[in-house]
Amino acid sequence: MELIGVILGLVVKSVIFVIGMFLLAAYLTLVERKFAGHIQQRPGPLHVGFHGLLQPIADALKVITKEDLVPDFVDKLLFYMASLLAFVPAIMILAVIPFGEKITLFGYELKPYITDLNVGLILALALGSISIYGVIFAGWASNSKYPMIGGLRKAAVLIGYEVALGFALVGPIMMAGSFSLREIVEAQQGFFGAFIWYQPIAFIVFLFAILAETGRTPFDVQEAEAELVSGYNTEYSGMKFGLFPLAEWYIATFVLSAIAVILFFGGWNGPHIFGPFSSYIWFLLKLGIVFMFLLWVHWTLPRYRVDQITELAWKVMLPLTFINIFLTAFIVVIKG
Amino acid sequence: MPWIKEEKLETLKRLFPNIKIECNEKISSIEVEKGQILEILEFLKTSEDFGFQMFIDFTCVDYPLHKPRFQGVYILYSPEFKERIVVKTWATDDTLPSLIHLWKGAKWAEREAYDMFGVTFEGHDNLVRMFMWEGYKYFPLRKDFPKEGIADTYLPSLNEPENSIPSHDYNPYHTQLPTIEDLENTEKKRFEKKQAQIVLNWGPLHPGTHGTIWFLFDMEGEVIKHCDIILGQLHRGIEKLSEDLTYTQIIPYTDRMDYISAICSNVAYVNAVEKLLDIEVPEKAKWIRTMMCELQRINSHLLWLGTFALDLGALTIFLYTFREREKLMDIIEGIAGIRLNSSFMRIGGVRYDLPEGALDVIKHFTKDFPSKIKEYETILTKNRIWQRRNIGVGVIKEEDVYQYGLTGSVARGSGVPYDIRMLQPTDAYDKVDFEIPLGTVGDSYDRYLVRMEEMKQSLEIVKQCVKQLEKIKDDKYLATDNPYVLPTLQETFISIEAMVKDFNLRIYGEQTPEGEIYLSGENPRGELGFFIVSKGEGKPYRLRIRSGAFYNLQVFPELIEGRTIADAVVLLGSLDPVVGETDR
Repeated sequence: MELIGVILGLVVKSVIFVIGMFLLAAYLTLVERKFAGHIQQRPGPLHVGFHGLLQPIADALKVITKEDLVPDFVDKLLFYMASLLAFVPAIMILAVIPFGEKITLFGYELKPYITDLNVGLILALALGSISIYGVIFAGWASNSKYPMIGGLRKAAVLIGYEVALGFALVGPIMMAGSFSLREIVEAQQGFFGAFIWYQPIAFIVFLFAILAETGRTPFDVQEAEAELVSGYNTEYSGMKFGLFPLAEWYIATFVLSAIAVILFFGGWNGPHIFGPFSSYIWFLLKLGIVFMFLLWVHWTLPRYRVDQITELAWKVMLPLTFINIFLTAFIVVIKG
Repeated sequence: MPWIKEEKLETLKRLFPNIKIECNEKISSIEVEKGQILEILEFLKTSEDFGFQMFIDFTCVDYPLHKPRFQGVYILYSPEFKERIVVKTWATDDTLPSLIHLWKGAKWAEREAYDMFGVTFEGHDNLVRMFMWEGYKYFPLRKDFPKEGIADTYLPSLNEPENSIPSHDYNPYHTQLPTIEDLENTEKKRFEKKQAQIVLNWGPLHPGTHGTIWFLFDMEGEVIKHCDIILGQLHRGIEKLSEDLTYTQIIPYTDRMDYISAICSNVAYVNAVEKLLDIEVPEKAKWIRTMMCELQRINSHLLWLGTFALDLGALTIFLYTFREREKLMDIIEGIAGIRLNSSFMRIGGVRYDLPEGALDVIKHFTKDFPSKIKEYETILTKNRIWQRRNIGVGVIKEEDVYQYGLTGSVARGSGVPYDIRMLQPTDAYDKVDFEIPLGTVGDSYDRYLVRMEEMKQSLEIVKQCVKQLEKIKDDKYLATDNPYVLPTLQETFISIEAMVKDFNLRIYGEQTPEGEIYLSGENPRGELGFFIVSKGEGKPYRLRIRSGAFYNLQVFPELIEGRTIADAVVLLGSLDPVVGETDR
């Protein structure tokens, strides 16, 4: 009976998470469009609902009801699989991300995460890597030149940044002494306890890696529209197309920003000034700032060329992470 | 343009006694025999006394009654003496020697002449059609080719049975259109055989090409090993159409060439016609033209900057530049009546007087704009990503400028001070004070810097024009006293003479004296030249448009070899062609 209860609880929680994430991702598009609009001195979406509040719903309806064209020459299985492969792992990362402290409501203890694995961070990284296959499969299965080049570009970028990303995370892990995201947060107490003060190099590398992994400017080579029309998703239409930007631009960015907050900004730690939901509010606040920062970068900078990106990854970012690991190890040993 | 002096031509005649000299203030030309043409051109190019290193244009003129029928016309420029010369020769047996070993820029010009006239060139490495598709049977610019085309494709009516009396006016013969096979053949002709892994069709409709240019990239991985360009998707045959229009009627066609800088094209054209007709333009019209040209240049450069940055991924700059461009568009609409294809110029002046308040708005704009340029420069100029994408991409050496006949900002980015506004000031350009920015390396970054500086210089010119125009507020804006200038609408309503003149000019056209003229203007995209052959009629016998963008684009295949597609975007953006002008 207890087992059924646990499973039921997990299912309910997962459903809430998935639906919540869908809605969140939809509204993140609005956030981005409004943000970009104001950067570019225009109002952004304005007419659907109050100040465009219903715009994401309208967009979602449009994308879902659009005719779903599948070209004749594609590799059908991979073509269908690709959009799922991009989307599902991105959402699965959420399973290990804690959004705040446990709270007790009406006698029930609510944990704001689906599971607290002791290798949570590794799982997040692994799932992140899988979602990359979506892009590469999409490029290959489309059986067309522009998507193929786009997919290959993305592969080249990711190979470089996955490595740098992995090594960049070693610093905070060493300081916390755990892979569990919850324990990493608990290791950062107080304002000066946040790892950003001790791991600035790791943070910078991580920031670059987020931009590269999520395909945002200056690293959006895989869908550089002036060069490759739309890159790997050129042949897609309808919701199959919609899943790619949703997964890559919003969910992946959101999730990686969450990991950045957990690793470097002390997660939900903060003064208890908002009552019982204080930890959630702090977490979302920090997350929002990181997310906005990424948008700001995206809407300001030009993009690199693909060889310059990989050069940056292997020649600058990777050595930096090694230096960081060495320094961190030094500090950890001295502090005992 | 200071044409080559008569004394120098006499020296040339002493060396080559067979040539015929024609020298007047409109044009200085020599006519040589076909056998000697290579020798003389090579001499003109290499000789230190002449130094005609730069290739400006080549075209043909069709004289059906003359034998041989086609005349080849070469226009050359000497950067050392700042002079021009026109060399003519008759194409015996419809062939001419190819000049591609002397000037690489002759390659496309010769292909165009082959495409339009059917003149073949001995020694040309790939003489295929330039604008028309492979398999097209006719040569459109020949005088015996009708303007509306030859209807030779039989497509019977779906409703009328054959051999019945037709119930409606349906012509079963249509003009030929390219089929898919034709286009495939066109593509095959460009690439004899595949050299690398994949051929990428970049265009004709592609967000990166800014128009309908069709690039063929033969690629190995992402590196382009070989490149060719197929033009002609926007070819409307403006040169052919002009032969059947009066001089005034051609003005709207010049709008539609470089549609981003319509006023500059207008001005270049009407200046050529006015010089042919010896019309003196009122002072005020000259200043208005100069001012409008410079506003248009800023407008055009803003569009370039926005789309260039957009291609490189900087999305926000695009909207920033369009913010200012909108103001300029509004000013132009207020003065000319139309935003884009304004046809504001008239032979002998401008269409309207300046409306009330126009100068105030422009003055406000000139005060406001420098801070905006600073804004763009803050985001881009020192940006490391911007620099890494631009520096060292598409380096054009001084030699290339002469070889390909590159003009405009592209030439100036390579350090060649070639600016028609300075060399041959038309309108009020000789009375305004400005500088020509020059690049040093000749890469894409230099061209970016040059164009940014040009905007500032244009702004200075606009300021001076405004100051001057405030003084001469009440002058005439159209030289209606001149017999070749159309009267204003007001005048036709109140005076019968004006009405008769209007009628005559509209029906019979401006009766130009017999002769030739080549006059060019500094378009934002390079030298826009008009070579007009007049037979003393109301219509031009031949109107050749020397397009800056056409020649600037020609250097693209050479520069892109060994580079990636990402660089192709940068290079194309920095060369800044407009397809309306390359194809005409």
